[in-house]
Amino acid sequence: MFKKKLVIVGVLLLVAIVPTPVLAHTPLCSCYEGGNDTVICEGGFSDGSSAAGVAVRVVNEDGKVIVKGKMDDFSEFVFDKPEGPYKVIFDAGPGHEVEIKGEEITE
Amino acid sequence: MGRQKTLVALAGQPNSGKSTVFNALTGASQHVANYPGVTVEKKIGWYSRNGYKFEVVDLPGAYSLTSYSPEEMVARDFILRENPSVVVNIMDAANMKRCLFLTFQILEMETPLVLNLNMIDLAQKRGIHIDTEKLAKLLGVSVVATNMKTGFGRKQLLAATESAAGSRAPHKGVNIDYGEMEPIFRALEDRISSETPHLRSKYPLRWLAIKLMEGDSEIQKLVAENHPDPERMVEAIRQWRRQFEADHDEMPEIHIANRRYQVADQIAKSCVQSKTIDRLPLSDRVDKIVCHRLLGPAILVGVIWLLYYLSIVQGYNVTNYTWPILAKIRSLTEAVMPAPGFIEIPLLRSFALWFVDSVNALLNYIPIFFILFGLIAILEDSGYMPRMAFIMDRLFSRYGLHGQSTLPMVLGGIYVGGCAVPGVMSCKGIPDERSRLATILIIPLLNCMAKVPLYILLINIYFAAHKGWAMFFISTISLLLVLPISKILTLTVLKNRPTAPFVMEMPPYHLPTIRGVLTRAVERVWLFIRKITTIVAAVAVVVFVLMQFPGISDERTAYYEGEKQKAVTAFLGKIKNTSYAGDIRSENLMDFVNYWNDYKRARLRTGGGDAAKALNAAYEEKNPMFFEIVRRSGKDGRTAYRAARRLVRSRKQLLMEMKKERIHKSFLGRAGKALESVTHYAGFNWRVNVALLSALAAKESSVATLGALYESDERGESLEKRMAEKEKGFTPLHALALMLFMVLYPPCLAAAIAVKIQAGSTKWMLFSVGYAMALGLSVAVLVFSGGSALGLSGFQAMIAFYALAFGLTVVTGFIKNESQYS
Amino acid sequence: MTLDQLKPGDAGYVKKLSSRDKLGHRLLCMGVYPGLHIKVIRNAPMQDPMEVELDGYFISLRHNEARYVEVSS
Repeated sequence: MFKKKLVIVGVLLLVAIVPTPVLAHTPLCSCYEGGNDTVICEGGFSDGSSAAGVAVRVVNEDGKVIVKGKMDDFSEFVFDKPEGPYKVIFDAGPGHEVEIKGEEITE
Repeated sequence: MGRQKTLVALAGQPNSGKSTVFNALTGASQHVANYPGVTVEKKIGWYSRNGYKFEVVDLPGAYSLTSYSPEEMVARDFILRENPSVVVNIMDAANMKRCLFLTFQILEMETPLVLNLNMIDLAQKRGIHIDTEKLAKLLGVSVVATNMKTGFGRKQLLAATESAAGSRAPHKGVNIDYGEMEPIFRALEDRISSETPHLRSKYPLRWLAIKLMEGDSEIQKLVAENHPDPERMVEAIRQWRRQFEADHDEMPEIHIANRRYQVADQIAKSCVQSKTIDRLPLSDRVDKIVCHRLLGPAILVGVIWLLYYLSIVQGYNVTNYTWPILAKIRSLTEAVMPAPGFIEIPLLRSFALWFVDSVNALLNYIPIFFILFGLIAILEDSGYMPRMAFIMDRLFSRYGLHGQSTLPMVLGGIYVGGCAVPGVMSCKGIPDERSRLATILIIPLLNCMAKVPLYILLINIYFAAHKGWAMFFISTISLLLVLPISKILTLTVLKNRPTAPFVMEMPPYHLPTIRGVLTRAVERVWLFIRKITTIVAAVAVVVFVLMQFPGISDERTAYYEGEKQKAVTAFLGKIKNTSYAGDIRSENLMDFVNYWNDYKRARLRTGGGDAAKALNAAYEEKNPMFFEIVRRSGKDGRTAYRAARRLVRSRKQLLMEMKKERIHKSFLGRAGKALESVTHYAGFNWRVNVALLSALAAKESSVATLGALYESDERGESLEKRMAEKEKGFTPLHALALMLFMVLYPPCLAAAIAVKIQAGSTKWMLFSVGYAMALGLSVAVLVFSGGSALGLSGFQAMIAFYALAFGLTVVTGFIKNESQYS
Repeated sequence: MTLDQLKPGDAGYVKKLSSRDKLGHRLLCMGVYPGLHIKVIRNAPMQDPMEVELDGYFISLRHNEARYVEVSS
């Protein structure tokens, strides 16, 4: 238990003291309609590094995961547009997530 | 008063509210300089009144005007040599008796004086009432009571200053009768007058005599130097002093001090009425808690935590708003620079972007520093700093440091990240030269904010299983190392440095003014930008050159050209059967690639909805054909899109490979390779060496350079993954050695410059860099080679080293310091 | 009796300063001089330095410095 607390404190401190280079490593993601009722999401980081392999998931309004996958080699992720309201979560790690609401995905 | 500028000097003891007075007089017109030859700050400002211009110099706070400390000497020399038209003596009205000790000395220098009884409100609260008219009559000078925080009395002070500056009459008034010493003064005056006549025109005779009897070494030297027979004169002076002590069983300087205090007492009795208040002053009641055995240190830790939390965490949040501004500057640079070719990036462009990135990295710290400096100003003005020193002195002085090293060390980074630059700069308050130098030399070893990303990187890869412990280790090891190192430095290199008494005032607590705090914060941030950023920018240039040249050889360039052709041909082949075939050719291919990159980058940063619509509209207008491709419109569009994707990626790979090769062949790369023969004992290969060398410019670059060196081909994974894959032979032991090296690694250039400024010489700057490098390398070698020889895993070595450092701290703590007073 | 031997709460008068150099001067100009009433307020959490009160102001000094201040009750 103590060890776990130590890890938590350590991670909290990490998050608290994280300076410029991580600042320059902000996650970015944008999605748009890809035709044929698909949605295409592209990911990246503010310092230009690629997002290949980064986890992506789509959740419905109850929080249940509808689609799960990863950004491909081209930092793209394609999925079928779900029914009803949904959210896309680009998950590059704790504190490095981008959420995009389904209704904002138009063009 | 027909002078161009009237020189006004502000003199007073510390904690008299002198800076508030200075600010109130000079407003925004002040600037800071240095007195020649010493690291004492000179604050200058000016104001106009009634058509005359007044230049105000805020002399360093001093309890007395002798040659016992640089501050006192500077203040005294200024009054004597620069000949101010008037000296405004600022005094804490509640402490008049003690403050008069200084006043008498200024009066003895025979300069026009205005006495400013400041903080009059606090005195009144303590039941102290001063009859200023009587005081003025007794002293023979104008007396003005003020409360400069509210501005009360400011006008009167200005008026009194102006008229005192204008009067040519020598002051009459209190001339302290030193009793039995008077005949000696007369004899001394006669001797000086006849034997060193030119001194007499420069300095007040009586004052010289008093100083000589006080035992002032500088004045003695002055008189001796100007005397035809120095040895005889010095011996005569000594004789007088010895005689006096023998005759009256009292040291001359004590006698003089006593007389001053007696006269002060008499004056106080006749001018000051004080009602005794039964309650303890508020400050003492607060101190009961703040200096409490258990609560005191707890509060100290709390204050430090708050300092970090507000400046770093909240400052970081503020940078979310300021970074876009810096990013915009970068985008502007990108737009203005010559456009990139497929694989040829114009040198000017590379350089400009590198330069902007380096400077931006530093400028991004500004919000953090602003908050930090503001908080420190609050700490200083509130009066809490002496309490910090009071609590920590016992521990620190054991290791050659000082109670007042507390704040500098906190700034340098005790547990979480700090910065060596403000840490070193804040050492100027430490009165004892030996411990000041010790503090300056060890601050760069503390947890600098920029070292942290490297630690995180290495811990994530090599100590993932023990993350918590590893973080704890790396955060606290610097403190454990800094104490014994300071002790060793004190016993060796700093052995013969002068020390100073600790004796320190515990002033009443004050509520800081917003104005004072903001002014100081702005002043210090500006100093940082001016001094540090310019040097780092210059070094960035040098590092760039070292990393760029000599560049890729001709035959390699030909190889890359060939690769480029392959990619281009492949692309053109794929779009041959689309409607774009004729429109996109190799000549305008770069236009397309740039358009693609710009759009992708912009689109990523834009959210959804209206912003995206606007962006799309703009790009569609720019080039409808390119837009179709980028948006995958239609069958042809999709085909072209896929081909373009591949093309852009190939280009990216080529560029990365070229960059890697360029660094490998560059001067910096060669240096890294050359150092390998030594550093491999520490487990560093040439890539690590290059990153460390480039980190000299600024530690942040270590991660960035590592990023460049480990750029991988297909997948743009995290730097962690890339490094882990690349350096298959790298073990946690390597990582530990590297982390420990970074802990001790010499300061970045900015910190080295701060060391030079604070320590006052290039010699110390070079020493701080040299010893840190040697120490860092030795420790890394010890850990790596030692750990390997003993067959320890990374984690085991970590524990072993921690125990070693702990043991060293305990052992060195027992060695006695050579103090003058123990 | 020297100042470092006093405990918090003790009071007395400064009798004599037995240091000639920097320390003596510093004590003098900070207002520690013979004849003045002096009271020990507290010791620091780690027992050193100590805080004293004189004539309305508060000074802290290390015990090895206080040794040079002779006091009388």
